[in-house]
Amino acid sequence: MSVALRTTGLGVRYRRADALRDCSLAVPAGRIAALVGPNGAGKTTLLHVAVGLLTPTSGEVSVPGRVAFMAQDKPLYDTFTVAEMLAFGRRLNRVWDQEYATARLTGLGIPLDRRTARLSGGQQAQVALTVALARRPDLLVLDEPLANLDPLARHDVMRSLMVEVAEQPLTVLISSHVVADLRDTCDWLIVLGGGRVQVSGDVDDLLAEHLALTGPAELVDTPPAGTRVVEASRTGRQARLLVRGAPVLDPRWSARPVDLEELVMAYLRSPQASALPALAAVRA
Amino acid sequence: MIWLTWRQHRAQILATAVLLTALGLLLLGSAVEAKLYIAEHAPPGCPGSAPACWDLARALADRYDAVYTVFGWMPIVAPALIGAFWGAPLLGREYERGTHKLAWTQSVSVRRWLAVKLAVLGALVAAAGLTLAAMVSLWRPVFHQEDFFGNPGVFNMVGVAPAAWWLYAFMLGTAAGTLLRRTLPAMALVVAVITLTTLTLYKSSDHYAEPERIVLSDTTVLSDADSRRVSDAWVDPAGRELAAPPSGVCPHPPDVGRGDRNQRAYERCMFGKGYRFAVYFHPPSRFWRFQWTEAALLTAASVAFAGLAVRRTLRRGV
Repeated sequence: MSVALRTTGLGVRYRRADALRDCSLAVPAGRIAALVGPNGAGKTTLLHVAVGLLTPTSGEVSVPGRVAFMAQDKPLYDTFTVAEMLAFGRRLNRVWDQEYATARLTGLGIPLDRRTARLSGGQQAQVALTVALARRPDLLVLDEPLANLDPLARHDVMRSLMVEVAEQPLTVLISSHVVADLRDTCDWLIVLGGGRVQVSGDVDDLLAEHLALTGPAELVDTPPAGTRVVEASRTGRQARLLVRGAPVLDPRWSARPVDLEELVMAYLRSPQASALPALAAVRA
Repeated sequence: MIWLTWRQHRAQILATAVLLTALGLLLLGSAVEAKLYIAEHAPPGCPGSAPACWDLARALADRYDAVYTVFGWMPIVAPALIGAFWGAPLLGREYERGTHKLAWTQSVSVRRWLAVKLAVLGALVAAAGLTLAAMVSLWRPVFHQEDFFGNPGVFNMVGVAPAAWWLYAFMLGTAAGTLLRRTLPAMALVVAVITLTTLTLYKSSDHYAEPERIVLSDTTVLSDADSRRVSDAWVDPAGRELAAPPSGVCPHPPDVGRGDRNQRAYERCMFGKGYRFAVYFHPPSRFWRFQWTEAALLTAASVAFAGLAVRRTLRRGV
């Protein structure tokens, strides 16, 4: 399986502090990868390094194919018409599919002669997305594409993105601080906390590998054999664990599968924990 | 890239073209009117320096002043406008709107993006400055005004000075935009620095060359009114130059109001007692030397600002 994006020991240092520390990850080609983490975790920094807007202080980044980027707030030139935004893309790129771009926007009912400043937020997102997609990239990087959109527009943007992915070989890397937005669409997960990669792996594998355990409080410090605790908490007489590892046979624990949001939250609440599956490297 | 440069900056380009055209029409109209007036009212042998021509000269001077007041502030205002509206938004607005993240992630490299913008807009700005200089140089001889050199305001509107000034202002604005990353503060910085530069260059222009010295024995006024006076001093009968006017030689009561009767009487008395008056000045023949010196200084500063803008932009801190 080929890799659409790989970073090795990536570090970015701003004047005061590290924005990224020793980030190594790989996104296999053809995936829709979610990059999640709280605000300030370094998501935007990582994406900026990936698309070449930022030079890392240490480490390396490699993107074998063409990359297109849609920045946070989906910037467009507000005095340009939609058609002029397409002309911008056509004139500044070696590869550009004008026919596709025009057809896509017409299909979405976005008038080409309207100034971008007069479009709705959802339409602006679609224009920005079209400018990125018409470059026929191998890797599409989207920084918080759903922020500032109403629920309907969020749904429309995500759905139309899925259509594009289904129709062409495309790897997508989407950042968000709202896990729920990405639950149904992403098949690869990267969790970034405090400038470090905590989790990177296939969503289904990750969900299969993790369990939520409930058991007597006195067992909170002695987790079942063969598991690694991601997060432990105690409420009254009950201990709750989120663990990674083999199925638990000890009858004192009751186990159930975790959902994506639980999994992400557990890792973000335990900055020391990581599931940096050699996974990413092995599969790559 | 050329298309993008035109599309993003056409408002400034067109506004500058319109303003220059309007100014050109004003100058043309005023010159035609003055020519007609000369043809109708000039006594034979005029314009010239004969007393018969004085009335005509005065009438022409009035016509000249009427138009000159319209753009007398141009040497400061025009560079400030160029810096604020051509330079400051070039990068300031991109950062402000986040569109730099759009522009700099296309196939065209940031280096090329910036190079085309600086080269195309810089060339346009310089060409506009040269246009202004050409128009003013064509217009002024109609009025027989000969103060290209002595009047620093006019000096900065002819020759290569406007082109150098405008280019300087443009690069200054661009650098301010990268440093502050916002348009409005960058504009304010441009206005402040342009004002400061004007004053500094005006003060330092005396040192562009070693001033000539002339010793006058009957007047304190230079015969060539277009000279730039640097300094002057009284010379005593023994030939020594005095740092301060000698006291106790002649009565020197202060003048009242705008008269200069006492001053003239004092000067007559001084010359009568064998004192002479030394004047250090730059003759108008140094016009081009001063033009090129000023242009060189401003161009060097422009290159420095452009380098700063390029370096800050290419360092990729988003």
